[in-house]
Parts: sequence; structure tokens; C-alpha cells
Amino acid sequence: MTRRDVIALIGAAAVWAVPARAQQQARPVIGYLGSESPEPYASRLVAFREGLAETSYVEGRDVTIDFRWAEGQYSRLPALARDLAGREVTVIVAPGGAEVALAARSATAKIPIVFELGGDPVALGLVASLSRPGGNLTGVTSLSVEVSRKRLEFMSELFPAAKTFAVAVNPTSPTSGSQSKNLRAAADSLGLQLRILTASSEPELEAMFTAVREMRAGGLVFTSDPYFAYRSGRLAALAIRHGVPAITQTRDFPIAGGLMSYGGDFQQSHRHTGIYAGRIIKGERPSDLPVQRVTRVELFVNLKAANRLGLALPPWLLSSADVVIE
Amino acid sequence: MTPSPPAPRSSLFAKYFLALFAAVVVPLLIAGGSEAWFGHHDQRARLNDLLDAEARASAAKIQDFIDGIRDQLAWTVQLPWSDSIDERRRLDVFRLLGQVPAVASLTLVDATGRERLFVSRIGLNRIEGGFDHSANPAFTSVRSGRAWFGPVTFHAGSEPFMTIAVAGNRAAVGVVVAEVNLKLIWDVISAIRVGRTGEAFVLDRPGRLIAHPDISLVLRADETATRPLQALRARIVARNGQAVSGRDITGQTVLAAMAQIPGVDWSVVVKQPVTEAFGPIYAALWRTGALLIGGAGLAAALAYWLTQRMVGPIRLLEDGVARIGAGQFDHRIELATGDEFERLATRFNEMAGELAVSQERSERIGRLKRFLAPQVAELVERTGDDGVLEGRRIEVVVVFGDLRGFTAFSARAEPETVMRFLSDYYDALDRVVSDHGATLTNFSGDGMMVLLNAPVSCPDPALRAIHMARDMQMSVQSLLLDRRVLDHRLGFGVGLAMGPATVGRIGSEGRLDYTAIGTVVNLASRLCASAGDTEILVDAVAANAVGGRAPLVELKARALKGFDQPVRVFAAVTGEGR
Repeated sequence: MTRRDVIALIGAAAVWAVPARAQQQARPVIGYLGSESPEPYASRLVAFREGLAETSYVEGRDVTIDFRWAEGQYSRLPALARDLAGREVTVIVAPGGAEVALAARSATAKIPIVFELGGDPVALGLVASLSRPGGNLTGVTSLSVEVSRKRLEFMSELFPAAKTFAVAVNPTSPTSGSQSKNLRAAADSLGLQLRILTASSEPELEAMFTAVREMRAGGLVFTSDPYFAYRSGRLAALAIRHGVPAITQTRDFPIAGGLMSYGGDFQQSHRHTGIYAGRIIKGERPSDLPVQRVTRVELFVNLKAANRLGLALPPWLLSSADVVIE
Repeated sequence: MTPSPPAPRSSLFAKYFLALFAAVVVPLLIAGGSEAWFGHHDQRARLNDLLDAEARASAAKIQDFIDGIRDQLAWTVQLPWSDSIDERRRLDVFRLLGQVPAVASLTLVDATGRERLFVSRIGLNRIEGGFDHSANPAFTSVRSGRAWFGPVTFHAGSEPFMTIAVAGNRAAVGVVVAEVNLKLIWDVISAIRVGRTGEAFVLDRPGRLIAHPDISLVLRADETATRPLQALRARIVARNGQAVSGRDITGQTVLAAMAQIPGVDWSVVVKQPVTEAFGPIYAALWRTGALLIGGAGLAAALAYWLTQRMVGPIRLLEDGVARIGAGQFDHRIELATGDEFERLATRFNEMAGELAVSQERSERIGRLKRFLAPQVAELVERTGDDGVLEGRRIEVVVVFGDLRGFTAFSARAEPETVMRFLSDYYDALDRVVSDHGATLTNFSGDGMMVLLNAPVSCPDPALRAIHMARDMQMSVQSLLLDRRVLDHRLGFGVGLAMGPATVGRIGSEGRLDYTAIGTVVNLASRLCASAGDTEILVDAVAANAVGGRAPLVELKARALKGFDQPVRVFAAVTGEGR
């Protein structure tokens, strides 16, 4: 072997060794479990990455995000969660509702999980208490489930003459029972009648709006559910088409042409999810991180939609709205 | 060469290093030490003021947060209650909720304690709910035109809430009671930065954590976890509000100061890591340390350089002196340092040169002494000039003397006897020659040749020569007289002649003699040869020069070898003859 050969060999070994060492200091991997496809999640992902960046993690630079999308088929969530758990990711982020959080929990009791949902994680059995989650789960709750009754209240104040309101419920949702109960109690104290309509698929949504129009209800109140939340555009289009005044949990709905929304600030909740994911990557245990409730519940009103429905919005509603879309 | 002296006890390098070290490092040490000491002192005092100001500023910010809510609430208790809720009051309340996100719900209560309006972000609103609040501490405790702050409670064991009640100026306007979500103080507290990484937190009266930049600490509502923070507050209280050092939750040592918020009776504590607070001092210490190391290095380098500059020339000088001392006078110390060393080297070189000259002279004089009369030698030595020995032609008197019958004696007698006798003989003659200031040019066997008037001129050399010859005869004869008992037939004859001769040094460098060449030498030698025992034969020139001052007898002219004509010969009358 000549000297040149030796040098070439050493060079080759160095070239081979550099990426090998880089691989050794493997980047932490976030397993991101999404119930839908990336498009409806886009605004949430922006907020999530903001939160990650606050803990000085940037995707591609310090951390890898491994996405699993259920494409709206929530039955696929447990298998996707198991897949992420099998890849031994550093942390599983399960945003966008109780279904996702429950699927993640069923997949692993070891890998930390950060959830983001609208319901009460204690009632769902995800954590022992808000201050002491206890297990491998912690996260953020957006209060959207809790404020379902407020949506009914807003509708009844807007239509003081109406005594019957339709309520849209996703029967597959883990929080549907509690929300229905909550709404019935509110209806009782407000002296209203409720017509519960269920929908968990595309044709049922269409049918639901038809039913609302036919039953001459004062309006349609959506319970908090990711299935509805991620279909805000579709719901807004249906509401316009059927001339149904409706209120949902997310601002996406009035922005897309719906009448109103009242619910937790998803930007805040997803940002906090990102912060918690970052803190867990840094080594904090989820049991030490209390579940956070978002501080901001926002009311969005679309004046154009109101005009289309021939509604004159009262001043108190406009003054309490966080954003009025002209 | 002489052996080199033993190694010195202490080296120049060590001395220079110590001196420079003392010169550089000691002032640095003193300056650095005092800087550290006074700096620490000043910094402590400054930090005390600084943290105190930070604490007051932070408390003012939290106070602003609370006052802002109170002032907003006060707007809702301006108008007296009528029978029904007017639209304007509802608007005020909704606007307040829009503007003050921390208010989760609020209740308007009339003068009788009856709930007129309840608005919530989460729960259902109530109009004319009619609930009786007359026993509610918020209603009973609040005084007209003032605000009342309830205790902090943790909703669902996690989120801190506080009830604020504000009463109108008149009883008729009633009271507003608001539930305030204290989590929103986070926006204020997280914006507070003390120094670079220092932060602030808020404890309520019982010591529960209400606000902290890490909101999860607050939401954990864990009093054991926040005990270090309570301890910190307790220490500040114990020190009468002076800034103290202690440990925070992460175990980091911090410097902390505190300010109270009146009304709610909360404590706002600001803390800064000690390492950061005293950062400038530590930096100064590091600087001093670096300077010390640098100074020591500089001192060492300077010492090395200086000693090299000193030791090199000194070694050269030492070596040169040793060589010169060993007699190597042609050695020259080459030094071009341009300073005192060069001067010293020049002096040494001059000294070596002078030593060489003087040694050469003393060697020459030593050689001269062999054939010069002591007086002459001394003269030459004193004047330092042997020019007198240069070759020249002058009038000299040459005296030859030798023993008669010596060959037979030396053949018969024991060698020791011969040598002892010769030794005595030469001693005697040498003494006489010296006494008369003559120059003994050489001995050979039993004969000798003596010069007068050369190399040192003397007055009346002929007379002097005759006197000397007489003395020589006397001393040799008395010597022989002593030896006669040994039955040796020995005698001594002298011949002298006067005339011009070439005198000077002849011979090689190692073997140099002073002698005379010329007819007069031959004549003197022949006269000596022809002289009998006790006889002193004098030539006509010498006899003429003496005149009548010494008794001389003219003998019959003799034919001498090497002389064509018979030579006139005179005999000096010796003491024996008298």
C-alpha cells in the first residue's frame, strides 16, 4: 500500500466518521399526532412552533417532528399513536381534542404526552388533577367544552323570541355526553328547548343543516368538538347555504362566513403545547408540569353574516366581541 | 588554566526574577486585592440599592395591574340602582370584560346586598338573579369608595384567583364584586428582568406563590416546592428589608430584595443570581489573576533577558580573565555591548597587553642578568630599555682569565671535587667582576671572558680592568692557596687588551649571549694564554691608557698566534709583587 493510498483511506474514514458522529447526537424527535390533515392544522402548527421556539427548539435545527395524520378518520388514531410510541419518540404531542389524547395515552404509559383539548382532562381521566397530572400526560385545555353553554346563551340573547335551539353533537366524541348534559342544564335555566342533532360524517352535516331549517329553530349551537372545529369552512358554507344562524367554538367559522364563535383561544393553547413539548425535551417530567387552562376565551362576530341573515346585532354583543369581522 | 571557581550560591537569574517579580507582581497583587475587596464592598452596597429599586419598581408594576382592575371596576359603580337593569349598565359590564381579561366574572350588588347582574366568561350570565350577598365578606368588608381584596384561592387546586370588591362613593350605587384570574399577572411578572437573568416573583401573605415567570410553578400550587422562596422572604424580613443571599427553588444562590404591595399585602421579591450580581467583581478578579500570571511571565522574561545580557558578558570576562591569568596574554575579550561591560573588557584587554609587554621584558631582563653585572642588569631593568645591548662598535677592554693545569687536575681528581672547586672559582670571579661593574660574557670550562665599557660605558676602563684583574688574581690565588694542601698544581693567568670591538647580542632567541668580536678579543685571549700563573698581561693600548696610574712593567715583545708582528706586552704588578 502506497502512502497515497493510506492518506486516501484516512480521508475516507474521516468523511465516513463525521456523519456517524452527527447521528450519534441524535436530535430529539417529537411525535405529532393529528386527527386531520396538515391543511386544517396549519394555523395550529404555526402557534405550536412558536411555543417550541420559545423554549429554543426549532424544527429541523434542534428537533425533528414526526407527523402522523388520521385524515379525519378518528378510528385510525390509536394505531398511529402506537406507531409513534414504537418509534420511541422523545415526546408525543396529541393536540386537537380528547380523542387524540386518549389514543396517545392508550399507546404508551412511558413516553411523555402533551395534549391539547377543550374538555376537562380530569373528567376524561387523563390526569389526576390539574396541578399534579401524576402520570406521563400533561397539556393544555382550552375551556371550549366548558363554555358550550355560553354559546347557547349568546344565541338566546341574539334571538330573544326563539324558544327552541338546535344543538349539534358529535356522538363519537368522548365529551359529547357531558356537553349535552351541560347544555340541557343551561337550557333549563334559560327556559329554552333543545333539539339535539348528531353528526359525525360529511352527509350527516348536510342533513343536520336541512333539519335545523325545517324545524324552525332559533339557531344552531355547536358543541365543542374537533371534528366540527376542523370543518369550519364547510360548516360556514352550509350555514350560508341554508341561511342558518350558527355559533361554533372556533374563530375559523366566522372568518369563513359563519355568524359567531365563542371558545378558547387555540393559538394560546397550541403555543403552550409547544412550550410544554420543549420543556419536556429539556428534561422536565410531565408529572411536574401542571395542566394549563387558556386564559382567553374569545368571541368572534361576522357582521356580514349577520346582515345576510337580516340580523341587527345589539350593541352589548358588539362591545363584548373580541373581534368583529366587517 | 586554573580550575573554574565553584558554582555561585545564588544565580543572577533568581535575583533578577525575584526583584522584577516583586516589582511587577506585588503592586498588582495589592491593586487587585484592594480592587476586589473594595469592589465587593461597593458592589454589595450598590446591589442592595439596585435590587431594592428593582423590587419597588416590580411591586409598582403589580400594583398597577391590580389598580387597573380596581379602577375599571369602579366605573361600574357610578350610578344608583333603579328598578330594572338598563342597557347602559350591561354595556359597561361587557366592555369591562372585553378590556380586562383578568376578570373572569363580576357581580353587581345593590345597596341591600341583592345581586342585580352577574356576568361570566365561562358560566351563564344572570340578570336580576336576586342572590343575597349581604353576608358575603366582599360585601360586608368593603367600605364606601374603597376596594377590598379577598384572599387568594386556587381554583381546582391550580389557578390562583382573587375576589376584588369595589364600593361606590354612595351606598346607593352598590358594590361590584369581581373574580380575578391572577394567572394573568404572568404577563407583568415575566416581563420583569433583574439584570440579565434575575427575575421577580410574588408571594401572598401566607407565603403562597401567586406569580412567577415559570407559570407552572404557580399552577402546581405546591407549598413545599416553594418553601425556598418563603425562606428567602423570611430572611429579608429578618434583615429589615436588606437584600440577602439565599437559595431559590433550583438551588441557585441568589441575591434577593423585597417590596410590599399594600392593600393586597403581597410581597414582591426580586432575585438575581449571585454569580451574575457579582459578575463584575469576579471578572475583575479574573483580570487581576490574568495580570498576575502575565506579570509573572513578563518578570520571568525580563529577568531571563537581563541575566542573559549580564551573564553572557560576565562569562566572557570570566573566561578571558582565566585565560589571561593562565598566561595567555594574547587573548582578547571580544565584547561590543556598548556599556560598562565593554569598558571593562577593554580594560582587561589593555591589562593583558601590558602584562604581555612586562612579561616579555622581564624574560629578556632575566636572560640579560646571566651575562650582565648585577648593576648593569639593574640599570637595564630600571630603564626598561635594553638598547644598550644593541650591536655597535666601541672601545672596550677585554679581559680573559683561565686556570693553569686544570686539565690534568680534572683528570686526576674526583668529579665532585672538580665541580665543587669550579663552583667556588666561579663564585669568586663572579663577585670580583660584579664589584668592578664589568660584564661577564661567558664561562667555558675553566676560562672566562669579561668586558669593560660595554654594554655600559664606564670611565677609565683600562685602569678599572687592571684593578679588576689584580683582584681576580688575588681571589683566585687565595682559593688556590687553600687548595694547595690537596697537592694540586693549579695556577691562574689573566690577559687583557684594549681596542675597538663590535659588541652586542648574538645567538638565537632561546640562547642569547652578549659578546664582543674583534682583534682586541683575540689579543686578550692570546695574552691570557701566554700569561703564566699569577701573571696579568696587558697590551700596549691598555698600558698606554693607564699611563702611570698603575704599576706596569713592559716585558719583551712576544710573537703571538694570529699576529704577524711581535706584540708589545706589559705585566701588571700584582699585590704579591708588592
